[in-house]
Amino acid sequence: MDFAFDDAQATFRTTVRRFLADNLPGDWEQLAHGPGSASQTRFARDFCGKLARAGLLVPHWPARWGGRDADPWIAFILAEEMWGAGEPRGGQYMNVNWIGPTLMRFGTEAQQARYIPPMARGEALWCQGFSEPEAGSDLASLRTRADRHGDGYRIHGQKIWTSYAGAADACFLLARTSPGKNGISIFLVPMDTPGITVRDIPSLIGEGDIHEVFFDDVAVPESARLGGEGEAWNIVRTALSLERVGIPRFALAARMLERAVASLKRQDRFGPHAHIGAARARAACAAARLYSYRIVDQRRHGETPGAEASAARVATVMCEHQVADFVVEHCPEALSGGDALLLAHHQRAVVAGIASGAAEIQLNLVASQLLGLPREPR
Amino acid sequence: MDFRPTPDQAALMTALERLVEPFAAPPTDFRRFTLESEELESQLEAAEFFDIAETPGLGPVAAALAVERLARLPCTAEVALSMLVRPHLRNGRWPRPLAFVERGRPARFLTRAKTVLVADGEGLGVAFLSRGNAAAVNSLFAYPMGALDADVAVKALEPEEGAEVRRWLRVALAAEAAGLMQAAIDSTVEHLSVRQQFGRPLGTFQALRHRLSECAVLAGGVKWLALEAAGTQDSGAAALAAFHAQQSAARLTYDLHQMLGAMGVTLEHPLHLWTYRLKALQSELGGHGAQAQAVAQLCFP
Repeated sequence: MDFAFDDAQATFRTTVRRFLADNLPGDWEQLAHGPGSASQTRFARDFCGKLARAGLLVPHWPARWGGRDADPWIAFILAEEMWGAGEPRGGQYMNVNWIGPTLMRFGTEAQQARYIPPMARGEALWCQGFSEPEAGSDLASLRTRADRHGDGYRIHGQKIWTSYAGAADACFLLARTSPGKNGISIFLVPMDTPGITVRDIPSLIGEGDIHEVFFDDVAVPESARLGGEGEAWNIVRTALSLERVGIPRFALAARMLERAVASLKRQDRFGPHAHIGAARARAACAAARLYSYRIVDQRRHGETPGAEASAARVATVMCEHQVADFVVEHCPEALSGGDALLLAHHQRAVVAGIASGAAEIQLNLVASQLLGLPREPR
Repeated sequence: MDFRPTPDQAALMTALERLVEPFAAPPTDFRRFTLESEELESQLEAAEFFDIAETPGLGPVAAALAVERLARLPCTAEVALSMLVRPHLRNGRWPRPLAFVERGRPARFLTRAKTVLVADGEGLGVAFLSRGNAAAVNSLFAYPMGALDADVAVKALEPEEGAEVRRWLRVALAAEAAGLMQAAIDSTVEHLSVRQQFGRPLGTFQALRHRLSECAVLAGGVKWLALEAAGTQDSGAAALAAFHAQQSAARLTYDLHQMLGAMGVTLEHPLHLWTYRLKALQSELGGHGAQAQAVAQLCFP
């Protein structure tokens, strides 16, 4: 076992930090507020283009798609530094983490040729059309239909709490092509397709982040389907396993904890009571980091992470919660305009246990697969 | 960064598994608070397991792995201090077993200890005992506990050595706590899988599944923090590991006993062997408040 990064990894981290120092504007902390806001979306397009030109957008992708086949550690160090800086890639992190790799694995040549190069250039923003008013954690009960019509499909239904939909170029959409769990298919749908209406949902996360998306007789060709009919479940399971450790939330949480403590120290308010809260939050961040590193290490060795990925997600949710609570208790002024970045972190931490699947589902997976407890009756 | 044991570390753990096999089963007719095995300690000593932290190719991470594994056994032995703290004491190899006494309180393994570390505020001292310097005391804690004679001569350690010893005491505490937590969770999983109420195993009820899963995530975190602290030999990481161990221990001992219900209250069920050892560790090194203070100093300079 070795808990230190090697020279190449450390050098890569330095390179990324230097890039961030050179390319984040002076008012970045104000921009970071509202990850789906129009201002951050505009900024992210410009920033991701620069990242791509510097070879720092998709280094872990295959050379064929603009990467350099860097190992999972490089991808994760990149993600840590980006998320730790407040995620200047905006919603494009999804392309890099899982939408691009999922298309590489399951897409047709035409789909890959159409969608992957814009992602690799930092020009594409996607949203994921998963949750519905009646289907959140119970995703298999989704009702949005894709009915066969001539050579293609007609899509009817509604998605909800969809991040980035207001500015997205395309949607990674789940729709039902036949009844039952195995009747769900994936469609890659340009958001300017006639019949799609997006409505902003004001939220705790910030301006422009989550939306309702209505599909009213939206015509898509058969070539928009990713994989075969009814194959969504297997593909999404792969995609979500990439997503689960995809966001190193602990990196921003740990930095925000340091920021809050530094602020308290400046004001001579870092006393014994705050020590305990800070230690609790710091330990939770360190545990989440190590759990996540363990998953990256498994990937690097060609192993498929199992329920350990669920444990990593739970640990990550715990750390977000601890840091957010610390700030609320000891630096409440941050939530009232006192610190834009602490505020932005708090708003993201709100959804740590909700976005990309409720943490309770992960707890169930830990119970069954890691602990071996008998399953719940269905 | 590599989370897999090296071939040497893996071979060591395989050898350790063979050694602990006869000690692994909970006793069938046991009704006491403390279960100690001097035989286990003798076998570890004979096989030179107390030297692994200093063995090239093994080191403190291997020692922490071994401490964690041994803590999962129903029986206890003086392992953690010998494996993780003793190698870092200067002026030669001090005789083992070791014990750690704080504020004159009863301490683990004290009646058999030959070297005693004595905490005096921030400072640390050392005393060498012959049999008779410490008296056994009855205790709820599932370790053999003893009280030190007041007139034992204690030699103060230099502050720098004291700080290093304290760092390894924290790593030892966290590694041992991680094993205790894992064993207590395993024991609870077994109970929840077998015990039926309302016509189905307790482990099928989501309220308990989630609660135990959270305990497992906390326990796993303690293990990783302990291993990282052993690997990096960083004082802040050690303080963090000990803090997380003591904080998590408080929650786990309550939650796991709640899940075991009345069965966990009996001495015939082994749960208390691990949970009451965890309770003993909760107060050591000044408890989580002292660890938090150390984290504040070392991790937020």
